[in-house]
Amino acid sequence: MTTGPARSLLTGLAWISPWLVGVALFTAVPAAMSLYYSLTDYTLLEGPVYIGLDNYRELGGDRLFGIAVRNTLVFAITASLSATVLSVLLAVLLEQRLRGAGLVRAIVFLPTLVPVVSACVCWLWLYNAQFGLFNSVLAAAGIDGPDWLGRRDLALPSLVFMSLWIIGSPLLVCSAALKDVPAALYEAADLDGISRLGRLRHVTLPMISPAILFNAIMSIIWSLQVFAPPQIMTGGGPENSTLVYSMYVYWNAFIYGRMGYASAMAWIQMLVALGLAGGVLGLSRRVIHYRAA
Amino acid sequence: MPGLPDNPNMRPGVGRRAAIGALATSLLAAGLWPRRARSREAIPEGRVIVDYWEKWTGPEGEAVQGIVDRFNTAQDRIWVRRLAVSDIMSKAMVAIGGGDPPDIVGLYSYNIPQFAESGAIISPEDLATPTARLAPESYAPAVHRLLSHEGRQWAGVNTCYSLALYYNRSLFREAGLDPDRPPATIDELDAAADRLAVRTAGGRIARAGFLPNLPAWWPYFWPIMFGGRLYDPDAHRAEVAGPAGVAAYEWVASYPRRLGASATAEFGNIYNRSFHSPQDPFISGRVGMIVQGPWIANFIRLYAPEFDYGCTPVPTPEAMVDPDRPVGMLEADVLVIPRGARHPEAAFEFLCFTQRPDVQEQLATEHAKSSPMRSVSAGFAGDHPNRCVDVHDRIVKSPRVQILPQTRVWQQYADSMIGAFDAIWAGADVHRTLAAAQSRAQQLIDQSRQRRLQRAARSGRGAPA
Repeated sequence: MTTGPARSLLTGLAWISPWLVGVALFTAVPAAMSLYYSLTDYTLLEGPVYIGLDNYRELGGDRLFGIAVRNTLVFAITASLSATVLSVLLAVLLEQRLRGAGLVRAIVFLPTLVPVVSACVCWLWLYNAQFGLFNSVLAAAGIDGPDWLGRRDLALPSLVFMSLWIIGSPLLVCSAALKDVPAALYEAADLDGISRLGRLRHVTLPMISPAILFNAIMSIIWSLQVFAPPQIMTGGGPENSTLVYSMYVYWNAFIYGRMGYASAMAWIQMLVALGLAGGVLGLSRRVIHYRAA
Repeated sequence: MPGLPDNPNMRPGVGRRAAIGALATSLLAAGLWPRRARSREAIPEGRVIVDYWEKWTGPEGEAVQGIVDRFNTAQDRIWVRRLAVSDIMSKAMVAIGGGDPPDIVGLYSYNIPQFAESGAIISPEDLATPTARLAPESYAPAVHRLLSHEGRQWAGVNTCYSLALYYNRSLFREAGLDPDRPPATIDELDAAADRLAVRTAGGRIARAGFLPNLPAWWPYFWPIMFGGRLYDPDAHRAEVAGPAGVAAYEWVASYPRRLGASATAEFGNIYNRSFHSPQDPFISGRVGMIVQGPWIANFIRLYAPEFDYGCTPVPTPEAMVDPDRPVGMLEADVLVIPRGARHPEAAFEFLCFTQRPDVQEQLATEHAKSSPMRSVSAGFAGDHPNRCVDVHDRIVKSPRVQILPQTRVWQQYADSMIGAFDAIWAGADVHRTLAAAQSRAQQLIDQSRQRRLQRAARSGRGAPA
């Protein structure tokens, strides 16, 4: 008969067993299977045939794979950087006891509740070159607006800009962290005669740096997996300028019937995401300020 | 390690409220749990249920439901249950691979090589009986080619479509063009396009005469109209970069060169998402001529019944013009019986029913398409909602009509042509762009054949043709 800590452990495991079973069945087993499939020629319609590292070798010569990697990295870096910086700035602004700050916070958060497909359709209209809101505003100012999603130099930046639409979640995380900054630190800074900018730099940012790190990592992971906006809004065009990694994985798996090749791509994607997140965590040791418990 | 301190306010076990709440939730769930599938309520007892996945929704879905209803009332042994499924090829692939397919699926004819080579579908020839079989001779020859792969028929047809040039007769009159004499050659098409085009003061295209990038659905179509082909099935070679392909895309590139790459791309982007809606660029008069399938007639009936339109085979270079034997491209929606279907014989009986000429005529009429069968009844064209059905019929039955490449990597080949078309439109070198697209397609074709040989060798099957 088990007693003490062992019994507590077993009880704990029993209570979280639905989650454990779920993770094992729907994450661990499929992940292990996809690793195996990445070493096979698997068309979905026929059983997998082992081909060693051929899928990984083929990726090296696949021009579209290279384009998808480049586009995704550009998107991930610019989108996560913009979202992280903007969420901090907005959160700091909304902490300034301005009238209607609560309403603004609610409005900024609201888009995260809109289904992504509906949001994409709305943004398609906003970006429409002839009838869209952006170009109408530009036209009112006498500027001939461009074809945002139709030009290869503007399509990806337009998607990055659109990604800021769902800045509500990181903003909330930053807002919560700001409320946790001890008032005594600001008082001390005031006594030392530090300017507002100095307070932001030497007090606020270090104190909320764990929240910024969290936002940055989540944003990197999300943007490396971006799929729906380019799939719905541009289909990867023009000239593959918005072809992103997850789209190419999806096409290979479910349109071209190349599940083995898609699995190899997915594993590389996971390793890159892990590497980037790990890199950010490693770099963060120097700049992130954790308060003592 | 010390345990958690006991909380004096915490009662052991589950609280009374939580227990009552759980019980009430369970009773509610039990009460709401469906006793039987709602969709089965109308199914007569004793029938074999055939699950049929089809891509169409809306009026096109209702039309195919009409065929299903006709079959269900025509006999008392089988009940076909139609389910509208989007993204049908992917879902069929997953269902068949997962061992739980429907009994019959409506795919596209270009899916046949992939599904047939994988052994994922049952050839109707294997299900034929002395009294029930599909008759190859009943189809238009090109349609039968679409249904077949490597010498075997793998599917039944479920309407077909060819592409034609639709034109706005009112705009023709307004521009001083003769609406009874539509363009037949590429030169005439270009001249008419120039006459129909209208620009704003700012240089934007207010109305296009004709644009090869509108719609952007068939970027691989133009080599066919210049006498080329996309694929040599005997040599298993991609051929888009041949002389006809180069000539075709040089002509395509002449449009952005003449009208401005950004202005034409912008116009295409604005309207490529408006098709089949009241803002359809052709129906709303934003473009004077457009390459479309016969279904456009149904959308005209729906959104602009008074719209005055005409239709003609898509123009070709002058040397290729032959009104009786038009050049064109043919595609079909097909019905296949998946491997692992629960009731393949019953599905085959439904398939045979759908292949009757009168049934295909009914469906084709409601879809505004031409019939895929070799011959049609006397009243077919007279009662047809598409005033241009004779044009499509001529293309379907023309000896010069081409079908899409019958290779399992066609989808990838086609997708690579989207990028190539975009690049050419933006000003890239035609030769180099087509050579790159052809090279990638060839690589995929070769790899697919090599892997098929490997599979055949492993399974002990003979080498494929």
